[in-house]
Amino acid sequence: MKKLLLIGIKDLKLMFRDRVALTFMLLAPFLLTIGMGFVTGRFSGGSTGLSDIPVVIVNLDQGDLGNALEDLFNSEELSGLMEPSASSDPEAARRLMDEDKAAAVVIIPEGFTRSIIPAEDTRFSQGYVQPEPVKIEMYTNPSSPTSAGIVKAVVDEFISRVEEGRTSGMTSIVGLMNDGLLNPLNAEKEASKLFQNAAEAESSAITLKTNIEGSDAVELDLLSYFAPGMALMFLMYTVSYGGRSILAERAGGTLPRLMIAPTQTTQVLGGKVLGIFFMGVAQVGILILISTLFFQVRWGDALGVIVLILAAVFGATGWGMLITAFAHTPAQVANTGTVVMLIFSVLGGSFIDLENFPPFIQTISKIMPNAWGLDGFTTLALGGTLKNLTEPVTALLVMGTVLFGVAVVLFNRNGLVQK
Amino acid sequence: MKKIFAIAWKDAVIRFASKSEWLFFLILPITFTFLIAGGVPSGDDDHRIRLLVVDEAQTSISQQIISDLENSSAVRTEIVAREEAESQFENRRASVVFIIPAGIDIELLQNGSAEVELFQQPNNLNATIAERAVLTAIRRVSSSISAAQNAVNVREAKQPFASGAEKQTYFENSLEMAQSIQKDAPERVTVIESTTPDGIDYDPRTNTSAGQLITWVFIPLFGISALFASERQGGTLRRMLTTPARKSTFLFGTISGQVGMALIQMFLLVGFGIFAMKLNWGREPFALFVLLFASALAAAAFGTALGTFIKTTGQAVGLSVMFGMLFAMMGGCMYPLELFPPAVQNTVRILPTTWAMEGMLDLGLRGGGLMEILPEAGVLLGFAAVFFAVGVMRFRYE
Repeated sequence: MKKLLLIGIKDLKLMFRDRVALTFMLLAPFLLTIGMGFVTGRFSGGSTGLSDIPVVIVNLDQGDLGNALEDLFNSEELSGLMEPSASSDPEAARRLMDEDKAAAVVIIPEGFTRSIIPAEDTRFSQGYVQPEPVKIEMYTNPSSPTSAGIVKAVVDEFISRVEEGRTSGMTSIVGLMNDGLLNPLNAEKEASKLFQNAAEAESSAITLKTNIEGSDAVELDLLSYFAPGMALMFLMYTVSYGGRSILAERAGGTLPRLMIAPTQTTQVLGGKVLGIFFMGVAQVGILILISTLFFQVRWGDALGVIVLILAAVFGATGWGMLITAFAHTPAQVANTGTVVMLIFSVLGGSFIDLENFPPFIQTISKIMPNAWGLDGFTTLALGGTLKNLTEPVTALLVMGTVLFGVAVVLFNRNGLVQK
Repeated sequence: MKKIFAIAWKDAVIRFASKSEWLFFLILPITFTFLIAGGVPSGDDDHRIRLLVVDEAQTSISQQIISDLENSSAVRTEIVAREEAESQFENRRASVVFIIPAGIDIELLQNGSAEVELFQQPNNLNATIAERAVLTAIRRVSSSISAAQNAVNVREAKQPFASGAEKQTYFENSLEMAQSIQKDAPERVTVIESTTPDGIDYDPRTNTSAGQLITWVFIPLFGISALFASERQGGTLRRMLTTPARKSTFLFGTISGQVGMALIQMFLLVGFGIFAMKLNWGREPFALFVLLFASALAAAAFGTALGTFIKTTGQAVGLSVMFGMLFAMMGGCMYPLELFPPAVQNTVRILPTTWAMEGMLDLGLRGGGLMEILPEAGVLLGFAAVFFAVGVMRFRYE
């Protein structure tokens, strides 16, 4: 055991003397985490770009409903989300959007109100013809799909309220007229009154009770997802860096020298693997410590965090050993390690939530330590404890064991550890 | 000219001596573009958000809500048992679960005491979108009930009902009427996603294609620093300078070779976008060439400047990958700029990746041409001038 530790600690020391490696293991993930913090609004009070959405309202209707929609965009309720500006010229408004100065243009055409609430004494008069619906036109900026989508949701919500009022008013009026309780001549006045009441009333036949998991206990800090995401990404670099050192020792002649010392082959290889494991633990541990000190990231249950780090590094070490077993030169390990690092980071959820990938990719991600590690870190950040980590920790331990087993077989076959 | 070409060719031969270079040059960029843009067949082409629904009521009302959700353009319903839904939600295999408890029927709705539940994962955009869809569905179903209930109240105010049965019949007729009015409601909003003269269709994959292209081309161009470091470390730079080739010839040959390779890589990726993904890149070929050329020059210039601050190949490789990824992330290549906080959106204008990305989106999404991308190309050329000046002034041949 002592020999194993000595070899492992020796490799760890070598890592801390390598400035290039430290740049990649610590500085790069740290800077990317800071970048993520800025991008997600974590450093600006949680506000993202989805606030003060520039929208141009062209109200050509000037009727009750057109004005109501314009007022809605200018309401206190939407003041943080929208930054509306009024225009009377549709062409000028569209130009603003073409110049990327607006996420959307909402044009309320003339006659919009009249197409829904006709003039007095028309709808229920003889020979009345239902007019063609006058449609609100929405021009959306193709390079701001999310903001434009939010603007559309507001318009849709408004239209849905209008339709509710119309449905309610019409249902009541038709019922009264069918029962002979309303003179068609008075229907319009009555309908307008009912429409107003219905539009103002909140539909409350069904209420939706929302439960946001963990919101009562812990609000998920985005950095508690992205910081480990970046650390796990560069962990793959670290384990291949460690694997490279085995081949470098062989090429430099120091590995055969170790083999002829009174040390068993398994101890030498075990010590090298332990060194890689130490490097990974040091890297992820330091990054988590830095994130805690600099950004006050809340990681959750400390014991869970420690166990998860150890399991994630063990799983990643297995991959590092497998890559080393397949390679013939340190350069091959470096190249393969970089490719694996990039693939695992993109498809393992370090940059993009796995939910946004097709099921096929979500299934593939199960072979990646990044995916399981992030799963565990998110569980902890949401208030979970060690007992909630059974699945990711087991998966990572199985992954590491299986890959290590395969790597040992390949090492023996390739004669890497022969004296 | 011959010397410049010889130097450029030598660099190309060295670079592609390793087969793994093809991974970074073409295979990974294409793979990532394809995967991130959702190119993998998932068994169906339904990209709506998965919404787990637990229907414990099994009534006509719950069926109406589910039917309305099935017609939603935002969510794809999946009916499961409560235990299954809870298990998936706890293990975060589902971002949102909608539960319709037992007893949700018309009678309960008439009393106004019906309550349904929605469980959402926190900070989850999909869960927020699904919530809107659920709200819309229950609003539609409950609004017809409310309209019928309101009709009953209005009728009762005019003339009381003779019996409870008559009142119930009136309610049912009114409900039918309300649902029919609702069903026949016309479309009242038209969405036009592009106002460009040629009517380009919005394709979100354009963002991915542009972002991946810039990311994977900028990283090796930043790696020019590694080339210089390698030549210096190996002593070949000194040897080169003993030949009758001027320093400027060497510099120009090395940089133009890398820019040339970057342009080939860009056009291969653009070709993939046009032919495999049916994107709009081929609409304005000259404008696209101007933008890509300006982008490549800016990135190569940054690599040249970076090369004057580092000593070893290892440092250069590490820093070029690090800066490449950081610039790509902050420049909108991974996430759309519209999602960034406003202050950050302005700050990232100091990065060449931001301008390259903006120019690509002008061409691919906004239907722009040469005139529209000239500002971006101009800024990129400005970057190139500044960084080349720094690089050439500080360049160490020894």
